[in-house]
Amino acid sequence: MMKIGLFIPCYINAIYPQVGVASYRLLKSLGLEVDYPLDQTCCGQPMANGGFEGEAVNLAKRFDELFKEYDYIVGPSASCVAFVKENHSGILAKEHHECTSSGKIYDICEFIHDVVKPAKLNAKFPHKVSIHNSCHGVRELYLSSSSEMNVPYYSKLRDLLSLVEGVEIFEPQKVDECCGFGGMFAIEEPEISVCMGQDKVKDHMETGAEYITGADSSCLMHMEGVIKRNKLPIKTIHIVEILAAQL
Amino acid sequence: MTSKEWILDSIRQHTQTKYDKPELSVDAITYNDKQAKFCDILQQVGGEFYVLKENEDLNKVILELNPDAKRIGSTLSYITCNTYNPDELENSTELSGTDLGIVEGVFGVAENGAVWMDQNVKHKALYFISEKLIIVLDKNKIVNNMHEAYRQMEIGKYGFGVFISGPSKTADIEQALVIGAHGPKGLMVILK
Amino acid sequence: MSTKHSIAAAKFAANKEQATWHNETLWMVRAKRDRLSKEIPEWEQLRDLACNIKLYSNSHLEQLLQEFEKNATANGAIVHWAKDAKEHNEIVLGILRDHEVKHFVKSKSMLAEECDLNPFLIEKGIEVVETDLGERILQLMDIPPSHIVLPAIHIKRQQVGELFEEKLGTEKGNSDPTYLTRAARKHLRDKFLNAEAAMTGANFAVASTGDIVVCTNEGNADMGTSCPKIHIAIMGMEKIVPDQEALGVFTRLLARSATGQPVTSYTSHYRKPREGGEFHIIIVDNGRSQILGKPEHIKTLNCIRCGACMNTCPVYRRSGGYSYTYFIPGPIGINLGMLYSAEKYFDNLSACSLCLSCSHVCPAKVDLGEQIYRWRQEMDKIGKASKEKKMMSGGMKFLMERPKLFNSALWMSPVVNILPRFLKYNGLNEWGKGRELPEFAKESFNEMWKKNKVK
Repeated sequence: MMKIGLFIPCYINAIYPQVGVASYRLLKSLGLEVDYPLDQTCCGQPMANGGFEGEAVNLAKRFDELFKEYDYIVGPSASCVAFVKENHSGILAKEHHECTSSGKIYDICEFIHDVVKPAKLNAKFPHKVSIHNSCHGVRELYLSSSSEMNVPYYSKLRDLLSLVEGVEIFEPQKVDECCGFGGMFAIEEPEISVCMGQDKVKDHMETGAEYITGADSSCLMHMEGVIKRNKLPIKTIHIVEILAAQL
Repeated sequence: MTSKEWILDSIRQHTQTKYDKPELSVDAITYNDKQAKFCDILQQVGGEFYVLKENEDLNKVILELNPDAKRIGSTLSYITCNTYNPDELENSTELSGTDLGIVEGVFGVAENGAVWMDQNVKHKALYFISEKLIIVLDKNKIVNNMHEAYRQMEIGKYGFGVFISGPSKTADIEQALVIGAHGPKGLMVILK
Repeated sequence: MSTKHSIAAAKFAANKEQATWHNETLWMVRAKRDRLSKEIPEWEQLRDLACNIKLYSNSHLEQLLQEFEKNATANGAIVHWAKDAKEHNEIVLGILRDHEVKHFVKSKSMLAEECDLNPFLIEKGIEVVETDLGERILQLMDIPPSHIVLPAIHIKRQQVGELFEEKLGTEKGNSDPTYLTRAARKHLRDKFLNAEAAMTGANFAVASTGDIVVCTNEGNADMGTSCPKIHIAIMGMEKIVPDQEALGVFTRLLARSATGQPVTSYTSHYRKPREGGEFHIIIVDNGRSQILGKPEHIKTLNCIRCGACMNTCPVYRRSGGYSYTYFIPGPIGINLGMLYSAEKYFDNLSACSLCLSCSHVCPAKVDLGEQIYRWRQEMDKIGKASKEKKMMSGGMKFLMERPKLFNSALWMSPVVNILPRFLKYNGLNEWGKGRELPEFAKESFNEMWKKNKVK
């Protein structure tokens, strides 16, 4: 039986623990052996994207340590998973370390869609949702076809949501335009970041959806900030909370 | 050390990985009806086309379609409706004020409505300075795409050639498309 | 922790009407590009080929440039080599002086911008007229371009109307684009007919034939080179392609990526000088050979200057070309600026959320976003890293490497939720400029797990 290590990113730990709980429940409901190695902190992405990759070395080493016993590392954050997958090996290579995590880490949606492949889910969510296709999810983890490329359309998030009873699925017009979070970008260029966030929320609202949902709580947190400041009639919810809605 | 030597030396010093030349084989798009595609795209880019029928007189058709053209320039032997022959003029600037230029194309490209012109007139200005340009083209000489085009494209004695696709245009003011910038304001391809 | 870009961008974005128009208009160009690229089933194959042809060409420049020179010279062209911008300008001046040129017409060339050619020639008493409509508008207004393909995208028709009324004598209050374009046609037709020399850039230079290829819509490059008999074509070294076959790939990608057209109105091949005329070609280095020595950034030389990266960049669309400190804006501008002088142009590195849309839209597969990430890692080494960012990163590192400390912080963090607004939202809080802060959970996931509450 494959041993799965649950990866809980720092801000999910601190701000959206319910996403972690939903992830755990969802994986367990699919008959998987899930464990959470204690005292996780951060994958190092905020430092690295800001230009301080070197600050993430110890975090990358610790990450490998924490998860060395597991066959798969699964986490509810496309962005953090993409960072470990794409960047940890480069960061560790500079220290002559071989990265053991990047080859076995998955975003939870990716994992369920590609590895577990359930025929159905015990989930009900009778609401209109607009899929937020986060940049790293699309362009680094290939969770959906990127709008820039001439490839046949596919969307792993849409496929998973189709297994949920009652849900009505929409996508915004600019289907994968960046929401403007970008880590430190959000505070280094706050005016542009907020402008992008406002435009993105507006695009989602124009679908008529009640919820914005996606695989990245970082994007959702940024859009939630805009929604609350402007008192807009739309909510955000991580996709695993929808997939685990009955659990 | 000349600048050329300096530059070549700098290139030599800095070049690292030498990449191989790729094989240029593309499964490029082809069309069942190249003529139809050519005409369709030509119209989309602001040009016009006319398919000359068996018994139609080319010169008569040109005059009928361009009743207001006063100064018509052409070097083609089969064009009789022209009012002057640009090859007889000394300077290209003398072509200014040509209402209609009539020239011949070598082949057309279906994917983008372009016609390859291998300069065969003394003043290439004729292609650009005319208010309107008519290109006469053999309708059997249309290729599918630019790969096919470049495989057969040649440049003759005048040392200039151009793919012309539709009339000149610009969208430099607020992205509003205006047909007719500095080159011809209208372009028609007559297929015969 | 502002940068020159963030400050300028904030000003641009503050004018909501202008920023929205700029954003939506450029998005439309991206949308047109999408429509056309999706009509070509082999589009991704073409991108791969374009990338590989460029990687090959730019790693064989010594051979290809010499092959080009040999063939161009045999065709009757005169080939010059310029180490840098200064030499380039002097060569141009030399040619113009040799022929006593007083009236010089130019079609668009970012290379000429790079070398600051116009002010140099004007100072020497030569009339230099930009003939591309957008560039001419900007020349008359005495301001620089804000986009490499749509240079006057930031200018409204009313402004052009007022400008032409003053400079060309057009009707007062008439800002119809067609009317104004016709007025420019008449005005520039005069310039073409009276010019003594013309300059074009080069989209491509073909080694096997010695051709210079120029792609335009307005017909201004061809009008310029059809009237006066002296043609000066200037090219950055990286414009070289091995043969005609390669052009099949590039001419299918260029206009579709740049403006959403199947091809430009004119794809001109200049091979020989005109009868009784001269055809000069200037090959320019100006730092390009040094880029060859930077394997992590070598793909910037693939760039075919289509501007698609600008049209897709969510930051460029909302901040405008003038918010960048390098003369070329957007993702390619950020990278070219850093290559030209990292010390001078690092401010532009903040203009990126690392969304990677640019890398995916680029017809020549330049890894634009990935390179920006790599450049950010270089900042500390050259002493240009933002002090605040460095402090924050250091702070995060300190916290995240100490799980006990991190857990304590999580335990204490809900306190922030109930702080009075004036403490949370003030000038020091960049997040708070337009967003509410998230709420910290009363119990972190880690705590819940420890208390066996995760089931």
